[in-house]
Amino acid sequence: MDIAIEKLIPQRYPIKVVDSLVEVNGEDAVCQLTLRADNCFIEGDGKMAEPGLIEHIAQSASAFAGYRAVSSGATEPPLGYIGEVKGFQCHYRPSLGETLLTTISMGPEIDGITLISGVVKSGDKVVAETRMKIYVA
Amino acid sequence: MLLENKFYRVVSVEKRENLSAVYSIDILPECEVYKGHFPGNPVCPGVFNIETIKECSMLLCGKPLRIAGVKQCRFTAISTPEKTPRAQVELLLTPSETGYTVTASIYDSQLRYVEFKGNLIYD
Repeated sequence: MDIAIEKLIPQRYPIKVVDSLVEVNGEDAVCQLTLRADNCFIEGDGKMAEPGLIEHIAQSASAFAGYRAVSSGATEPPLGYIGEVKGFQCHYRPSLGETLLTTISMGPEIDGITLISGVVKSGDKVVAETRMKIYVA
Repeated sequence: MLLENKFYRVVSVEKRENLSAVYSIDILPECEVYKGHFPGNPVCPGVFNIETIKECSMLLCGKPLRIAGVKQCRFTAISTPEKTPRAQVELLLTPSETGYTVTASIYDSQLRYVEFKGNLIYD
């Protein structure tokens, strides 16, 4: 999609771990990240530490929420915080150069808390998945 | 280690019975992450607290570990380098077939920030 990611999420270098919002389809969205050395989760062996995958899923959900906010007239991306991570699984740590495509399913919002789930893939391999509660401060 | 002496520094450790301990850490305000989280409004990334739990678990058991799964991790308060310059990381490692089940929390004298239960495996 043709919106700069900086308009959708407030995170910046070195912790910005989404390159773009690729598509939105109802309650689902897809985000993309190509792993480069400029993010703070790359370990000495050139692979992304597991918490980086949790952050990537959270920022993907944040980009989706930002897209909805911008679509309804907001000028600044909302600041979202992770309230809870549940059922996270890391199948492997992806390496520099890999491109991650992450599907976010947005659940209902209750009292400012939104339930989301995210699945991170690299090609046809599942890298990681989790459910999460996110709240906007 | 990804974050030791960058995001936090271990000040002291109190080891208890079996694989249980409390690490006192300083949160380092000069960490580069605050340039981007968030510009002009430094907030400790919740996932950095998870990595800190992983790294303290590695210090405690003396082996490299990976996070295979997080059963549940609750972030119950927002920590910042200004409001939370020092924190306690309390750990209990229970051996499993492939590594450890880790139960952990991060707190200071005021607040509890993180409650974590996950499955860390040998790397």
